Amino acid sequence: MSVLIDGLLAILAIYLALQSLLAPRLIKSVFLFFAFGLALALAWVRLGAVDVAITEAAIASGFLGVLFLDALRDFSPAFPAKQKNPEAAHNVLVKNNTKSLLLSRIPLGLGLGLFLLIALEAVWKTPEGGGLTAAAEAFLPESGVEHPVTAVLLNFRAYDTWLEIGVILMGLLAIFAVGGIKVYRKPNMAAQDPMLRQVIMFFTPVLFLFGAFLLYFGKTGPGGAFQAAVLWGAIGILLHLGGKSIIEEIPRWLRQLILTVGILFFLVLGFLFVAGGNALFEYPRAYAGLLILIIETLAAISIAAALTAIFANLNQMKEDPNETESIN
Amino acid sequence: MTDLPTSPFPAFLVGLPVLLATLSLFFRARGKAVVGLAGSLLTGVMALFALFEVTRRGTVIHILGGWEPPLGILLRMDPLAAVFIGMTAVVGIFISLYAWRYFRAQEATTGGFPLFWPLWLFLWAGLNGLFLSNDLFNLFVTLEVIGISAVALAVLSGKKTALVAGLRYLLVAITGSMAYLFGVALIYGSTGTLDLGLLGQVLEPGTTTTFALLVITLGLMIKMAGFPFHFWLPPAHSSALAPVSALLSALVVKGAFYILLRLWMEVFGVSLTYAAGQLIGLAGAIAVIWGSWQAFMQTSLKLIVAHSSVAQLGYLLMIFPLLILAPGVTADSADWLSPAWTAGVYQVIAHAFAKASFFLSAGIIIMALGHDRIESLRDLVGHMRITALAIAIAGVSLIGLPPSGGFMAKWMLLKGIFLSGQWWWAPVVLTGSLLTAGYVFMLLRLAFAPAREKEAFRPVPRSLEVCALVLALGSFLIVLPADNLIQFLQSGEVFGTGIESIMEGGAHGND
Repeated sequence: MSVLIDGLLAILAIYLALQSLLAPRLIKSVFLFFAFGLALALAWVRLGAVDVAITEAAIASGFLGVLFLDALRDFSPAFPAKQKNPEAAHNVLVKNNTKSLLLSRIPLGLGLGLFLLIALEAVWKTPEGGGLTAAAEAFLPESGVEHPVTAVLLNFRAYDTWLEIGVILMGLLAIFAVGGIKVYRKPNMAAQDPMLRQVIMFFTPVLFLFGAFLLYFGKTGPGGAFQAAVLWGAIGILLHLGGKSIIEEIPRWLRQLILTVGILFFLVLGFLFVAGGNALFEYPRAYAGLLILIIETLAAISIAAALTAIFANLNQMKEDPNETESIN
Repeated sequence: MTDLPTSPFPAFLVGLPVLLATLSLFFRARGKAVVGLAGSLLTGVMALFALFEVTRRGTVIHILGGWEPPLGILLRMDPLAAVFIGMTAVVGIFISLYAWRYFRAQEATTGGFPLFWPLWLFLWAGLNGLFLSNDLFNLFVTLEVIGISAVALAVLSGKKTALVAGLRYLLVAITGSMAYLFGVALIYGSTGTLDLGLLGQVLEPGTTTTFALLVITLGLMIKMAGFPFHFWLPPAHSSALAPVSALLSALVVKGAFYILLRLWMEVFGVSLTYAAGQLIGLAGAIAVIWGSWQAFMQTSLKLIVAHSSVAQLGYLLMIFPLLILAPGVTADSADWLSPAWTAGVYQVIAHAFAKASFFLSAGIIIMALGHDRIESLRDLVGHMRITALAIAIAGVSLIGLPPSGGFMAKWMLLKGIFLSGQWWWAPVVLTGSLLTAGYVFMLLRLAFAPAREKEAFRPVPRSLEVCALVLALGSFLIVLPADNLIQFLQSGEVFGTGIESIMEGGAHGND
């Protein structure tokens, strides 16, 4: 039975991926991509990695999907007219060069096929190493938390997680770097829409509570800062779409503080340990659990704010057509 | 590994730039620049202190979180890491000083690009983290930090060419990271450890290891723009702002080379084959010839310099075949090894100084002329004596004429080539030098030629020219401590247990 489910899931994932790539219209591609992300999330659940499943559903399907839809709305006025021309040009090109293309594609295809075969063999023949699961379990009592994944992320390999929080902050800086820090007009769409207001009023507390639950649950089970952050980030995005962009409306210093408090607190705490003669991120054993919860909460707040700010900046850039032109 | 002396320096080398970058976000444009410059100087000075500490105490480590590998992550500052960190510090300090003056000079029209500072400090933290890392997965994370900050810096100008090149750079960087990560997953799956030191002991030859080596090498080649993955480099490096071009060419691409060198020498000894070495050497040789020829054919200064980077990075790939003996050959001593890999390190340092100086000079010329078409370099000597001198000195080091750092690098490379008996690489080195001489002398001929018509050279701050000149001189001055530096590098036992398998002619891998 489980083999049947897994097999169907595998076929579904590949089918959706192909369909998403081959879909003739971008909007269809985006929605198939949503579906593909959910199929992948299910696959992760089947593999017993619930953490990855939540992250996959939230980030890859949810957040990325929202960004794609947003980009699509931006392209849509320009696309219908343009879409025909490249295709027509492409057809002409194909007709003229079919032979030479075919000739160049055969070795390329053969090469890729061979590469895939070797890759499969390499994966297949991977000897069982056992990984670090046993070591992580053995030191779990000293880590301050009860879930091995959280222990690895926030204690044993806190350094990697700290750097990753920095990567998210830099993603935001990169978006500023492309667009520059500008003052945008506030989006005022649908602020009066009663449906949207109801949706926001219903979902905001639900998302907040569910996020807080995932954050706290990370101590004992699958969950944690990144998963909670996506849900809290969704609140920010919803409010932004409803015309109430909190991240833009609060004072500047407070915004910067919220965006950086996760990485800053983590680091300053680490420096304090170094000053006390320990290593970076070496928590005193007695306080490890409490410190990890504080770090996770602050990190979740920062990541949620960064995701909201990324969306708010991308979303607003198109509100003013002059701004997009100034980039070109 | 864990019984080595511990030091807090590695933690501060990564933490301090991140702290300063984050703090700079609280300030507005001018404040960001002040905090950024102060932060750069502070980071640089601390890095030099750390280098001094390693020369005094030998390799030092920092066990993050107090968890020893394989569970935890260990930062290791050995002589090789210390030399790379020191090079980043010296080159970084002068690029920072240049950037401060360069952006202030055009603050009125561009806003002074305040985001340069947090991004550059993050990039610096990523580079230091990469040089210190002793863990395959942590290396991936540092590659991400470097990749994202480098792409953001590359598109900072907001110009269309920069955005197009930047998007391609981003896609290439992600592809390289994914290939690397795939290899890491295979290694972790088969050995259950990510620590480089432990991996060097437990890794066993087999299909999985060989394939992991292949994808990791491919991923890193993509990231260091090795032939045939060099296509993204010239547009991305030439369209960025001048200080950014200097950072990207002098420092960022060296990160991938550093990992490749470490992995080939310390970890994958069991899986290296003679053929693999020859193949990567061939890619390097083609890059040397092709990149130099392309540089010779360009008509704008920044594109010449960017194509020249492709060629100079090719020399770095050419040291890898020298690390592996031909099948059936065994060596009694490891004499030939040390010139080969220290040649790579010297080439990295010499190129970092010379190329940073070259790109900074190009920025000065763009500031003076408004463009960088090379026919306008006529009478450069008459207008901007210091910049012309900087270009000449940096160019001589790129060619590899004595007594420059480039000469040291190529001399030791040739020594390694002849000692290892792989003489067929020697003509490539010489041809590359000749072609380099071609485009450098083409620039110098124009610089001394009388102007055809009066072209307006706008005045440029003298301090910018001095920064470029100091870096150019640096590419010569690094020859002075050459003996000490090479001894220092060799004291690090980078080969560890791998040296026996190398001397046996990579006996495991030759099947």
